[in-house]
Amino acid sequence: MICFGLSAVRTMRAVGLVLPMAVLGLCQPAAAAAAKTTTLGFVVRDWFTAIYNSKFIDECPEGLATSNDETWWRGLSKADRARLTDNGLIQNLNRMPTAMRRGPNGENVCLNPTVVQDPPMRVVEGKYSFGANLDGNTDGQASAKTCKHDNFTHPDGTPGIDNQMYRLIGCVYGWRRGGLPELNAHEGRGTSGLGMTLIEITGVTDPRNSPDVTVSFYRSVDQFALDGSGRPLPYSSYNVDVAKDQPRYGDSLKGAIKNGVLTTARGDVRLPFYGNYNFLHPTIRDMDLTLEIAADGSTAKGSVSGYYNLDEFLYYVGGMVGHTSTGDNCPAMYVAGHQLADGYPDPKTGECTHLSSAFNIGAYAAFIIHPEGSEPKTAKTAAAKP
Amino acid sequence: MILQKMQLAKIAATLVTLSVLLSACGEAEPQAAGAPPAMRRLTNEQYRNIVADVFGSQITVAGQADPLLRTDGLLAVGARSAHITPSGFEKFYGLAKSIAQQVVSEDNRAHLIGCEPANTAAPDEACAKQFFTRVGRLLYRRPLLPGELDTAVSAATAAAQTTGDFYRGLSVALAGMMTTPQFLFVVDTTEPDPKHKGQVQLTAYSKAARLSFFLWNTTPHAALLDAAEKGQLDTKAGLQAQVDLMMASPRLDVGMRAFFDDFLRFDQFETLEKDSVIYPAFTVKVVEDAREQVLRTALDHLIERKQDYRELFTTRKTFITGPLARIYRIPTARPSGNAWVPYECSADDPRAGLLTQVGFSALASHPGRSSPTLRGRAIRESLLCQKVPDPPGNVDFSLFEESGTNNKTARERLTAHRTAPACAGCHKLTDPIGLGLENLDGVGQLRTTENGASIDPSGDLDGIAFADAAGLGKAMHDNPATPSCLVDRLTAYGLGRTPTSGQSAFVAYLKQSFTNDGYRLSDLVRRLATSEAFYAVSPPEPETKPVQAAALASQPQEKAP
Repeated sequence: MICFGLSAVRTMRAVGLVLPMAVLGLCQPAAAAAAKTTTLGFVVRDWFTAIYNSKFIDECPEGLATSNDETWWRGLSKADRARLTDNGLIQNLNRMPTAMRRGPNGENVCLNPTVVQDPPMRVVEGKYSFGANLDGNTDGQASAKTCKHDNFTHPDGTPGIDNQMYRLIGCVYGWRRGGLPELNAHEGRGTSGLGMTLIEITGVTDPRNSPDVTVSFYRSVDQFALDGSGRPLPYSSYNVDVAKDQPRYGDSLKGAIKNGVLTTARGDVRLPFYGNYNFLHPTIRDMDLTLEIAADGSTAKGSVSGYYNLDEFLYYVGGMVGHTSTGDNCPAMYVAGHQLADGYPDPKTGECTHLSSAFNIGAYAAFIIHPEGSEPKTAKTAAAKP
Repeated sequence: MILQKMQLAKIAATLVTLSVLLSACGEAEPQAAGAPPAMRRLTNEQYRNIVADVFGSQITVAGQADPLLRTDGLLAVGARSAHITPSGFEKFYGLAKSIAQQVVSEDNRAHLIGCEPANTAAPDEACAKQFFTRVGRLLYRRPLLPGELDTAVSAATAAAQTTGDFYRGLSVALAGMMTTPQFLFVVDTTEPDPKHKGQVQLTAYSKAARLSFFLWNTTPHAALLDAAEKGQLDTKAGLQAQVDLMMASPRLDVGMRAFFDDFLRFDQFETLEKDSVIYPAFTVKVVEDAREQVLRTALDHLIERKQDYRELFTTRKTFITGPLARIYRIPTARPSGNAWVPYECSADDPRAGLLTQVGFSALASHPGRSSPTLRGRAIRESLLCQKVPDPPGNVDFSLFEESGTNNKTARERLTAHRTAPACAGCHKLTDPIGLGLENLDGVGQLRTTENGASIDPSGDLDGIAFADAAGLGKAMHDNPATPSCLVDRLTAYGLGRTPTSGQSAFVAYLKQSFTNDGYRLSDLVRRLATSEAFYAVSPPEPETKPVQAAALASQPQEKAP
């Protein structure tokens, strides 16, 4: 780059060069004559599970899933209801701990979801879903990497959409649009600086059209810089989380930018995640990213799809606080999840261990700062996009 | 008759020029007439500095005095004609009361009072006298006159008797002292000049005050007052020694920071507002940092590295913080917090020099858009010391601001505007300069288009065409008015007034010396601070002098204890 901070030269390697700078010709790569490439950086602010909501909840013909609180309540005698709720004076949220410890020996059923057997969970039965065709077929038949499952059709008409995560949680009211767990997690990431994903696109020859780029994913150790209305400010700098001179994250995918839209091949990507007071480090298998970069380069929005580890997802749901507000019922979800998992069969049991999934993301242009001596991991050559 | 006058004027001008050239060659300072003694109201910054120096930085100064009127480009000159209104006095009294209470508080009294009363519930004249003798000397910038000391001690005694508390009594008297003209105004006190019969000269204490406010923007420290008392400031060597000491101190930064804050009209930052919808990154922190960036850049360039003043308009070295980095759209390893880090842009970066910093470009803009006119005017008036007339009251803005016009860029809008003859004259002075900064939006963010149309950042400064902001910086560097203006302003700032016609030869000498010295500010400051002209005064002008000033100016006749 031609612009550099003196201390940066001493202590860091600044590789995050944001789109508009390149567009304006304000900064050029240092080795312009040799490579003529630049780097784009983004910090992910929005990360929402892609849920298709119909107006009349047609996708859940039996109604929404029964929550843990409701399941517990139904199982109580009238006398127990009175005893455990101070004659009904204790409100739902406050009786949550009691409702959670409904195992036969008082176990927390979200931490021990197999100690009770609940009625089957209501799951999505609709035709449509967002997401992608992860397995390459449209009939949902099992393969070496998948288990038999039902496919969706994308609202745009594309058949063969795999999204068993949506099928699992799409009828839980907390996970539907505007639901508490998603919004609470979103808010938590915005104010805490935890679980912040950085996307770095290197090898960019033209910010709007680059045939061969590498997309790497890191975690930031810096919080969002926000404007007066709480939105992230574009062009902020974020330091990469480093341990032992290596980025703690840093998996990469190959990709291309066409008319301002980045698409990647698929590959396994470990990501940082934080939400509802839980930390996760999910490796999304066969993940791809589609990112539509705004013309001025300051923002981007897109989607991620891939296979999400079921155990990690159940761990996340089980560890969330406030299940009365989310509508989850861990024991029923545990059973349904294992029934619906459609990716990566366990070699021993043959049971699938991953859920096909899709997420909508929003990001802001950012400078991604690599502390000096911390070399990004070598880009993996991912499998061709199906 | 007129012809004769013109010839005489020419001859006089030639003589002045010759005198300057000769003196500059020989480094000899020309004779300069002094100006009548004056009194200057303390600025807010000076007030805070004095309180911190005398009582410590733990004392909070919670409030501000009435603003000063900028005169001839400087608040420091406006301070000379400042009055204190009844409401302004109330503010000073409120400040003084609060400060005095803090000084005598249980937390501070042990180390600020310097003595302990025999009985805290009763007056103690000896302790009060000891306190006011020491503190009064620093506050009044000279030893207290016997009557002044008696007044303070008597007030403390009376208040202590009334309240039954020695410290409250001390507090009342201290607050009273801090609301006297002797404290609130820096008064030029004079005495007969023994070398020139019928002439007057500044007292040594007034010299110390002038020097101290110029270099450190605060009251003279005890050692400087000691030097004044011993007559050391009345000798060339003694004065130079004190100037050397003060210029070697890091506190010179405080003084020069105050000068540049005034010179660049940065008091406007106090009321700077931008549309947060249009410029969300322009936060309160950015405002604070933008002001500091310019000052920090200037001090580093001029004081720390002793570089050519003109290169301040072309330098690519500066300092940034995280909030500023977002405006400049550059990476930083310190995105949050208040850390300042050195930063340098390469030769082909459009940003170069002071004019492309947010502190200048955002200040000279409208809340929601840039303004070549405001920027051009700021350059003319602040940096080149040229006057641009105010716009007429009946400007028809519809010519260029109405929606539906095809004027997408500021250049197009201003071109339309200049079709109005009444506007054309002044805009010719400002717009060709300000258009050079059009690649910087209303808060100084880089851009190449406006409303979808490409921006042409070319312009002209006094016949020198330039292609862009960096070119404008180069044109400023090469413009003779640039260093000349700095000398004019610095001299006026130090003197507290616009130099008189009798001082023009001296100012010309300073300009020539500045050139000879490679446009180094520290040399200019030293030359000014050690010059005879800097301390020269003429006899007071009773008929034009405010009554209060005249009364105060006569006070040195009384001998200090």
